Amino acid sequence: MTTVLRLKDASFTYAGATGPALSALSLEVRRGEVVALAGVPGSGTSTLLLVAGGYAPRLVGGAITGERELSAHQPAIVFATPWTQLTGLCHTVFAEVAFGPASHGLERERIRAIVLRQLHRLGVPHLEGRDPATLSGGELQRVIVASALALEPDLLLLDDPAAELDPAAADDLYDLLKDVAADGAAVLVATPDTARAARAATRAIMLDAGRIVADGTPAEVFA
Amino acid sequence: MIGFRPGTSPLHRAHPYTPLAVAGALLCLVFAARTPSAVGALVLAALALPLVGGVLGLVARPALMLSLPTWILLLVLHGILGPDPHHALGPIAVSEPGLARALVLGGRITAILFAFLSVLATVSPARLVEAMTERGVPFSATYLLVSTLTLVPRMRARAAQILEAQQCRGLRLGGSPIARVAALGPLVLPLVLGALAEVDEQVLALDTRGVAKGIRRTAMEPPPDSAPDWTVRWLCLIVVVAAWGDRMLGALQ
Repeated sequence: MTTVLRLKDASFTYAGATGPALSALSLEVRRGEVVALAGVPGSGTSTLLLVAGGYAPRLVGGAITGERELSAHQPAIVFATPWTQLTGLCHTVFAEVAFGPASHGLERERIRAIVLRQLHRLGVPHLEGRDPATLSGGELQRVIVASALALEPDLLLLDDPAAELDPAAADDLYDLLKDVAADGAAVLVATPDTARAARAATRAIMLDAGRIVADGTPAEVFA
Repeated sequence: MIGFRPGTSPLHRAHPYTPLAVAGALLCLVFAARTPSAVGALVLAALALPLVGGVLGLVARPALMLSLPTWILLLVLHGILGPDPHHALGPIAVSEPGLARALVLGGRITAILFAFLSVLATVSPARLVEAMTERGVPFSATYLLVSTLTLVPRMRARAAQILEAQQCRGLRLGGSPIARVAALGPLVLPLVLGALAEVDEQVLALDTRGVAKGIRRTAMEPPPDSAPDWTVRWLCLIVVVAAWGDRMLGALQ
């Protein structure tokens, strides 16, 4: 399996912070893997996603040291707060999901096919014509996941993606992550829901104070 | 203040560039016009925009509220304190050239407000994005324009949310004028800080959707650009060039 992300002794410090949020992390992530990241709040799981996707420090500021080799062609990220991921420029769910592929200049027909496929995968084709601003938290979360998948990412990063979902929808989402990995992408999911993560993940990593304290199978790490 | 209100009027159905061109033309024309009668005619033309768009009720209040203080100031400054000759109007001596000046300046502001507030109320930001994307306008320019057009409604919605949250925590809005001014503190600070945080969130949201790649975006549903749209826009351009040409030739003679 191809490696899409390699970190070696990587540390990251936010601008103005007194100490690093991530310390001397070494990690390899390959296509086809679903890696669950767990840890208490403040342990650095969300920051690791930003670093893994190349969003930190490029967009959020701060400084990174050590080695980071990001060979993924198309990373995509989903935050726990879906309302912060709306473009603010689209008045329909269809347009919102199409925004990413449209930014890549794909042909209209291909974009339509991609959008409809992802809306069906997330179980929200009926929301196609709705204004994203009128959706519930759970509906919006699924639309944002569909928007990320519409980019056809080879590295999918998710931060507590089921935070807004009901239990059945959360089960469906974690099942979907297995499908995404089976299609050839690498999936990193930061979550406090270790029970669901254990069922979907092929590997689990536990962080504490910005350091990896366990890396193995979900059964080993979450035991 | 106002934002886009969906509708089916000719302004809503027009290509987004057309109402913008009409408003832009009015802006140019009011500065080319020098007499109260010419500016008055342009005010009437500007009033026709919200009428055609079916948004007069929405536009009139903010337009009048914004222009009224300027009118009062202009009438006092130019109409009363202006140069001679003065004419008695009841107990007040009104300056004839000053009044004409006040009417021209006040009319310009009123026309501009009616025209651009009508654009805000009738041009869908989403359609404008599609139109600009189709024409190959860089996304940064499109975003700058559209986020400016939608700034006021977004800030208003955020202010309402903050106000509700602060009232839940015991903020009292009534009482003396001093107490009311003091109550602005818990509203303004989170509003400003929230707006700054929203910029960071938007940058992240847009970057994660691939807008920073320097690739020409695909317009998914570009609005149709009909012959009447083209005609109106060309007419706007011709009228503006003619008006400014006339004004500049007049200045030369």
